[in-house]
Amino acid sequence: MIKVEHLAKKFGELTVLRDVNAEIATGEVVSIIGPSGCGKSTFLRCLNLLERPTRGTISIDGVDILAKGTDVAMLRQKMNMVFQSFNLFSHLTVMGNLTLAPIRLKGLGRADAERKAMELLKLVGLGEKAGSFPDELSGGQKQRVAIARCLAMEPKVILFDEPTSALDPTMVREVLSVIRRLAREGMTMAIVTHEMDFARDVSNRVFYMDEGVIYESGTPAEIFDTPKQPKTRAFINRTRSLNFRIGSADYDLYALEAALETFAEKQLLPRQAQHHLLLLVEEVLQIYVPRLKEAVIDLAVSHSEKKDLLEVVLETPGMADNPLAGPDLEDELGLTLIRNLTDRIDFRVVEGKGRLELTVKK
Amino acid sequence: MDVDTRREGNVTVVSLAGKLDAVTSPAFEQQMRGTIEGGNHAIVVDLAQLDYISSAGLRALLVLAKQVKARGGKACLANVSGNVRSVFDMSGFATIFEVVESVAVGIEQVG
Repeated sequence: MIKVEHLAKKFGELTVLRDVNAEIATGEVVSIIGPSGCGKSTFLRCLNLLERPTRGTISIDGVDILAKGTDVAMLRQKMNMVFQSFNLFSHLTVMGNLTLAPIRLKGLGRADAERKAMELLKLVGLGEKAGSFPDELSGGQKQRVAIARCLAMEPKVILFDEPTSALDPTMVREVLSVIRRLAREGMTMAIVTHEMDFARDVSNRVFYMDEGVIYESGTPAEIFDTPKQPKTRAFINRTRSLNFRIGSADYDLYALEAALETFAEKQLLPRQAQHHLLLLVEEVLQIYVPRLKEAVIDLAVSHSEKKDLLEVVLETPGMADNPLAGPDLEDELGLTLIRNLTDRIDFRVVEGKGRLELTVKK
Repeated sequence: MDVDTRREGNVTVVSLAGKLDAVTSPAFEQQMRGTIEGGNHAIVVDLAQLDYISSAGLRALLVLAKQVKARGGKACLANVSGNVRSVFDMSGFATIFEVVESVAVGIEQVG
């Protein structure tokens, strides 16, 4: 139904979409997820021609919508959009909001338009609000009116741009349940969302966007349970990491600790976990120190909020033996602390680098 | 790290504040060697203000205890709590070192 090829969008020198390729079939529900600023909303706005792409093609049912002479109004009737900020006409009643476009653009008679509008308001659970003005409604009710208004144009596709982002948590559910109902009824939808449980639940496919492209796509199970690409994994597991390179035995322990403390505070790690992290890193580096003259150590600390996992990884090129098992340990003191501070210790050689992984006990 | 040394009768009370780690331990060890060689063989190390200790710090305390013992003296640690206490427990250090609840008790013990 929708086919996008090599779509690019620049704002001045800023490239937001680099090369987006996608197909969405009739009846499909596609959720688009990814970090803020990755181009999700710009992608939707390009589909609806609210933004003019810099390059690429978009076709709907085989018709190139970027061709000269495209009837944009007609396109938007086919592919309507629901916005984060509702965009209702505040001077019109709910009924007025729902009937304006069908009367003006589709030429519907007022009675027919109002009958249809009432059906739709009942569908979204707001039959009694027909005479209300937007200011008299809650955020969740406004968004449901916006969805009903969108449906009033009988679109073939609905694009949702973060439909629940502006809502209080208590109102998110009522809006999502309306979207779920539309999905069950076979409406084709592309939904930009930060609601991961909802995306998993409602979608046939999920696009993970990053770096201006659809970085990974798949079924909800593929994206949420077994993401293949590193950035998708980091996003899904809500992993943040800190990287530090140590190239000398005279490394600055306090600069490293300051960076670890800032990282731990940003990650809202409990005080005990912060202490364990600092102590573990110092102890491991004390064991690595004798080897520093000949090697560089890449230290990475990562925290997965979703898995509640704090990990320390040290990679050292050319190191084939586990330093923690080495015969040159001063005593068992450091090693005893390391064992007590961790739930897991694993050493492997990966691509010529010694890789020590430690999971910090929290 | 701050090291404050004072005399209480025939006992030397060494109060540590801050971090006793790989960076600060060598200087502390050296300072304590001077203190012990200067004739102070009854030492209470007060850890009330110590926020952090690593294995390097534990080794420094162990060296201090050995040096005092080698001269026929006594040393103990007072006010071991918080993060420092948890490192003592993890390492088993609490069982190999004389640990007391306060400086006053420590002075009685080693004096």
